[in-house]
Amino acid sequence: MRLGFLVDLSRCMGCMACAVSCKAENNVPLESWRLRVKYIDQGEFPETKRHYVPLRCNHCENAPCERICPVSALHYLPNGIVNVDHDRCIGCASCMMACPYNAIYIDPVTNSADKCTYCAHRIEVGLMPACVVACPTHANIFGDLDDPESEISKYLQEHRDVMVRKPELNTKPKHFYVRGSDVALDPLASERPEGFTLFTEVKFLEHIGGH
Amino acid sequence: MLGAEVTFDVALPKVVWGWLVSTNMWAKSISTGAFFIGLYFIKKYPDNDAFFRKWLPLLGLVFIGITLLVTILDLHHEFRFWKIFLFAHFTSAVTIGAWVVSGYVLILLAAFWSWVTGNRKIFDRLVIPGFILAFFSTIYTAGILAQSTAREVWTFPAEMISMLLSATLAGSAAYLIVGLIYGSLNEKIKKELSYILFGSAGLLAAMFIGELVFAKMHSEYAEKVVEIMAFGEVAPWFWGGMFLAFIVPMVLVGIAAEKKKFEYALLGSLSALVGLWLIKHAWLIAPQSLPLS
Repeated sequence: MRLGFLVDLSRCMGCMACAVSCKAENNVPLESWRLRVKYIDQGEFPETKRHYVPLRCNHCENAPCERICPVSALHYLPNGIVNVDHDRCIGCASCMMACPYNAIYIDPVTNSADKCTYCAHRIEVGLMPACVVACPTHANIFGDLDDPESEISKYLQEHRDVMVRKPELNTKPKHFYVRGSDVALDPLASERPEGFTLFTEVKFLEHIGGH
Repeated sequence: MLGAEVTFDVALPKVVWGWLVSTNMWAKSISTGAFFIGLYFIKKYPDNDAFFRKWLPLLGLVFIGITLLVTILDLHHEFRFWKIFLFAHFTSAVTIGAWVVSGYVLILLAAFWSWVTGNRKIFDRLVIPGFILAFFSTIYTAGILAQSTAREVWTFPAEMISMLLSATLAGSAAYLIVGLIYGSLNEKIKKELSYILFGSAGLLAAMFIGELVFAKMHSEYAEKVVEIMAFGEVAPWFWGGMFLAFIVPMVLVGIAAEKKKFEYALLGSLSALVGLWLIKHAWLIAPQSLPLS
């Protein structure tokens, strides 16, 4: 079994139900995110478009975070999920340096590394990840990549415009996007000016390492 | 369609590895550099090696101690550092580094005991394992940076050579400072130390400039990192480091060696150590200044 995720970006409407359900399900502290939805505005009026991009851990088959973790706090589960052991973590933040997708954070409450686990605790008892359940448009498609009859496998077979983030790094992500674009998936393809925008303040956090 | 702009997003982490990690790399350069350079002079001038038999373990232990202290302070779980030995994950350069440095500390302690007791044979028997452990203690950080897949510029193969040259630069500078303050080095050794510092600074400067030029061809991400380092918010650290670590020492140490005015070498060595910290810090934080997602 190899569990994977696919987001059909043409279905995502940026409602954030997935992000909110993820926070509620996993007790994610206010200033941290396992799953977030980024808005990118493209073009100049009247030719404009807004991209909504849900971003979470890619559960790579060749995960740099698992490789660099000095104590195996980040480890593979038999179903392919890259899981975190909070009690094992020493908080060196090497995983944050290694992850090319910015999917890992240091939890300010536990002081340990944390990230999306595809809701491993729910999968263990036969439930779907919280974000899949909450999505009103079924943009999140989750399932076994090894099962040709699973919805995600069929989706991958039927669509030619399947993309992953940063394929050149050979991390082999098991998180796919359909009907995406470079603007949506490449962080350097859009500007990220700091300051207040239409919705919120876009900013970087101050130095979070050291004490 | 024209340009694109992020209009809604959460706050992203920027600098995660900061000055504690820069200090780790800087202090480790001094410690292992003191080992390499000290060993070279002990072997080359066996009749005149008392200075190096004393200062090799002292400099080595003090600065590897600083390295270990800042490493532990940088952990978010300082009191769990022992897990790296109990639950060692050997695909990680962090783990390999922890084990290698532990062995290196043992060698330094033996070298210290050798100096305290005057039993030269203790150290002489540990020269080869000591060299191997000092070598790998120097370069394992390049392994950590290489495994940091997300951070362009850190992942370049030249990083390993850069670490070795940083060690010879820092080691020769440290010996010049100690030797000139205590006045216990003869002119021949001071001159040779000056040339090692001069050569290391020249080669290291060429490597940094080379990486700056060639990194642009690597990827769009690397080009952006170079832009931040050369012209952006990190530029004062980087160019300040280039000036203090390489240009000032080369001029002052060059004058000192040729004109036999070694007080210039003292200033040049101090400048080299300050500059080395600055340039390591710039190299560390520049790739962390870009959004990864």
